Amino acid sequence: MNPLELTLGIMTAVGGFVDISELVFAAKAGSTFGYALIWVFAFSTVGIIVFSEMSGRVAAIAKQPVFNLMRHRLGLKLGLVTLLASIISNLVTCAAEIGGVSLIMNYLTGAPYLVMAVVLTLLIILSIWVLPFKWIERIYGLLGLFMIVFAAALVGIHPPWAKIAAGFVPQVPHGLSTKELMTFGYFCVAIVSAVLFPYEVYFYSSGGIEEEWGPKDLLTNRITSILGMGLGSLLAISILANSAQLFGPANISPEIPGSAALEAAIPFGKWGLILALLGMLFAVAGAAVETCMANAYSIAQFFGWKWGRHKKPWDAPRFTVTWIALFVAALLVVLTGINVMTLVELAILFSILVLPLTYLPLLLLAGDRQYMREHVNGRLAKGLGWVYFAVITVAALSAIPLYLLTSGGNG
Amino acid sequence: MLILAALLAGCSGSCPEADLQYIKQARSIGAEWALINEQANANNLTPTYVTSMHVWLRQQLQTSSTSLTKPDSRYGKEIQALLQQPDDVAPDEIRAHVARLKQIEDQLESA
Amino acid sequence: MKPDGPMKLVADLLDLPLIDSEGCYCGIVDDVEFSGSKELKLKALLVGAGAYSGRMPRWLYRILTKVAGDRVTRVPMNRIRSIASAVTLDCPGSELGLQRSEKTAAKWIPKWGAM
Repeated sequence: MNPLELTLGIMTAVGGFVDISELVFAAKAGSTFGYALIWVFAFSTVGIIVFSEMSGRVAAIAKQPVFNLMRHRLGLKLGLVTLLASIISNLVTCAAEIGGVSLIMNYLTGAPYLVMAVVLTLLIILSIWVLPFKWIERIYGLLGLFMIVFAAALVGIHPPWAKIAAGFVPQVPHGLSTKELMTFGYFCVAIVSAVLFPYEVYFYSSGGIEEEWGPKDLLTNRITSILGMGLGSLLAISILANSAQLFGPANISPEIPGSAALEAAIPFGKWGLILALLGMLFAVAGAAVETCMANAYSIAQFFGWKWGRHKKPWDAPRFTVTWIALFVAALLVVLTGINVMTLVELAILFSILVLPLTYLPLLLLAGDRQYMREHVNGRLAKGLGWVYFAVITVAALSAIPLYLLTSGGNG
Repeated sequence: MLILAALLAGCSGSCPEADLQYIKQARSIGAEWALINEQANANNLTPTYVTSMHVWLRQQLQTSSTSLTKPDSRYGKEIQALLQQPDDVAPDEIRAHVARLKQIEDQLESA
Repeated sequence: MKPDGPMKLVADLLDLPLIDSEGCYCGIVDDVEFSGSKELKLKALLVGAGAYSGRMPRWLYRILTKVAGDRVTRVPMNRIRSIASAVTLDCPGSELGLQRSEKTAAKWIPKWGAM
């Protein structure tokens, strides 16, 4: 295990944890329910750690990415349903990320939002074309570390640490009306969805194949999953806690992504604002890359095409055409002028509906001795995996009713 | 099925409860606008950010206003009055509108 | 697993990826072809959207083949080296008529700029 590589891998995971959905929902969760939803972030993070570790292990041992093995496990018909659901979910999410990045550039430079959407999509496509896989991951992930300013801002505003610590204990606030209770339920579902987005697992597992992971990388996989996701989650929790302290008492429920940047501006002034916006820019741009590439990986793997950014673009032509076409499709969604917050809500909804279909094959594969040999799921991974599968199934069933009954969490 | 039926059978046409979510949105947007102007006056924000946020907040406020089923109500007029304000209005001025919207919001929620 | 050994058709073979002798992905096992009447023997693997017809409702097959075409490529069993989490071939995929769409797509991709 190379310590430098491991450290860079962890930092990349930290910087790449927060995307536009987590940004929006962390800020709204804090302003609406104070610290009471911190435990949901922590709980969901354990879930993504469990499934990320599993997907990395499947990549390292079976030497096949999740979608290849998923089709073999589920068969053609159910596999097609999963593929289609995942394409739609990832496409909407990618559009939300592109919209988010364009908004952030508007806050930074004042340049028109839709113009920025076109320019940034072209720049992102160019970056994926030119750079090798490892550099793509590292650049967006490491520059996303500017998001640490949110953690620093939390320290800077001297919050009630005891209340924040208490927020890690599973709870439902007392004295809520029925509608408020349903809104709390909707936020729980939305946070689970945002943290456990399917694209993260597809991208991570395909990345493991790109980097030619083997049994010797299992420890790296485990440490990167635990530390990278765990520390990244603390950034999302910082955004929530800042919002609880700054927005909640001021009766602000952040309606646009740019509001979160105020959390760093209030204690640190202009430099805090700029660092927050830069962190958000690279974290969300990195998420746009991951969602689009995850879709391209899924399609190529499902149909048995050559795939991978470890090859030159012309060595995997159908894969290359696919990821470019997907970026263009996501851009076209943004160019319809649809509100970014609407895209975020749709991304959350589509994602939670797809989650059970995404994680069931992974659970079955990671527990299959034929593929995994002695590296099959142990009791802890098996137990946690099935618990989280039950949780995401319940969340998937309740997502649409809660969304409708609470007007998308607006009460 | 039952939930959908309940939704359909619920408040149809125009009634204040249907406008509650837009009143909340407008209240929140107003409060955020006040915070931004306060921070801008304290020189904590870049002018570009302030201008952009004003544009987006105003757009959201306009959406809330046009979504109201009773635009000529007390809360409708309050939101319109907020929209008439210049971007760099004093934070206390906005907060006065926000306080009135909060009062209406609380009345409707307890009704 | 050896190609001429006993195997579970659905559990061990269908929907596995194919990897050629150069280590490139070149399709998925979409269906299988048998020979013989009294004693059935696996003759070839079928790759391509045209092989979906027996595996899905007709309306879905029509939509898919309108998008992806209805080509079927035969991979004789004697060209298969091994079967595990993928089917590995003993020759480049292009020799068997696989990867034709890759060549078509390659015409659209400029060969410059990538590190």
